[in-house]
Amino acid sequence: MIGPRATFDRELHKLQDEVLVLGSMVQKAVIRSVEALKQRDQEAAREIIQGDQEINAKRFEVEDACLFLVASQQPLAEDLRLIAAVLEITTDLERMGDHAAGIAEVSLMMGDEPLVKPLIDVPRMAQTGVEMLRGSMDAFVRRDAEMALRIANRDDEVDQLYNQVYNELLTVMFSNPRTISGATFLLWVAHNLERIADRATNICERVIFTVTGRMEEINVRQPSGESKTRALG
Amino acid sequence: MDEGKIVVRHLNFFYGAYQALFDISLALKERQITAFIGPSGCGKSTFLRVLNRMNDTIPDTHVEGEVLLDGEDIYAPGVDLIRLRQRVGMVFQRPNPFPQSVYDNVAFGPRVMGLDRRVDMDELVERSLREVALWEELKDDLRRSALTLTGGEQQRLCIARVLAVRPEVILMDEPCSALDPVATMRVEEVMRQLAKEYTILIVTHNMQQAARVSDWTGFFWLGELVEYGTTRELFTNPQRKLTEDYITGRSG
Repeated sequence: MIGPRATFDRELHKLQDEVLVLGSMVQKAVIRSVEALKQRDQEAAREIIQGDQEINAKRFEVEDACLFLVASQQPLAEDLRLIAAVLEITTDLERMGDHAAGIAEVSLMMGDEPLVKPLIDVPRMAQTGVEMLRGSMDAFVRRDAEMALRIANRDDEVDQLYNQVYNELLTVMFSNPRTISGATFLLWVAHNLERIADRATNICERVIFTVTGRMEEINVRQPSGESKTRALG
Repeated sequence: MDEGKIVVRHLNFFYGAYQALFDISLALKERQITAFIGPSGCGKSTFLRVLNRMNDTIPDTHVEGEVLLDGEDIYAPGVDLIRLRQRVGMVFQRPNPFPQSVYDNVAFGPRVMGLDRRVDMDELVERSLREVALWEELKDDLRRSALTLTGGEQQRLCIARVLAVRPEVILMDEPCSALDPVATMRVEEVMRQLAKEYTILIVTHNMQQAARVSDWTGFFWLGELVEYGTTRELFTNPQRKLTEDYITGRSG
């Protein structure tokens, strides 16, 4: 027997699949951007920047599908929250793609300049960020608010790594002013990765909203005068 | 413009001296759902009834222009009206099953057409009831009176009755206006399934229904077809101000 809203359910499913496709495009871009930096592969960096256009196009496609579902299906309750969440989630994913492109841009700017320090924590930040992204997509598909909260809380790990990278790079700059330019490049990379984790946290917030209807910010920071992540926006 | 199961060209329609439709031209796509929306008295139901010459039963009406079904003018002299209405079936606003069994309701059309000697009627009844998602519920109870069904089931039975004569086009005039929301959604799902095989036209007061169920939408206003396009375009980015005002509830 056909369910009374089988067509709508199918469309929602399709929308969810499209979000996953976008998520995996972004995930790939993030991984490749850090890999290109490590390998000093400028060709790969160029490809990532060009590939960002596909991510942007996909985002518009998903957004368009959301608008049409709202216009045509009059979604209510969880269906409505899901579509509203998808609109936000795709914005976050698209911005994560921009951050990956930003990292690739840094690779290009660095040219052949040798790295001022071996990359240890930066790949860790990327790894955790990607795990958060993947986890947020899983929580989204499973409509699992607890899982979303757990993943969002990993943002602290990334923030800690960021602080570590920041302090190390300052030390490098102090000890040898000729590294300032190269160290600043790496700082930008770390900043992009830190923002990627923040965006994954936003996605988790939207998953929680979809499931529970509660709009809450996770990891609210108190003013401390010490938050570099907030200072850079 | 000329591609379509039904192509209408410069259609004018009159009730006596009163002109109800003005210069309507459009092509209705095969195996798609086209919805017509517009305020009461805008001509949308009149237009629907033009398509299987249902208005012929109203005295002192006349038609100008062309209505082509698979390229042939249905208003040409000598057109067989029984055959036309078999090819272009109609479902009405209120479910109107005959006071007979479920089986006899579905078998009615084929019997009248003398098909019962040529087809396996049991098979035809089963197929038609399956198409409207009633078979599983009613297969052990086909002798039950159709009048004991719920409103939604009755309406789906009426659709099955139309399907039993193997039409090509199905006209639906406000088919859900007497149904509750869940029964409405079921009819809409049935319509989506049927659109794989049939060309469906629906007139509805319910704009949301048009948006949900159709592939194409036409907006009628004072007897004119103001805008006609894909449902996606018409409901998210209408080209005419009048359409925008109507669908956003600012006029009409």
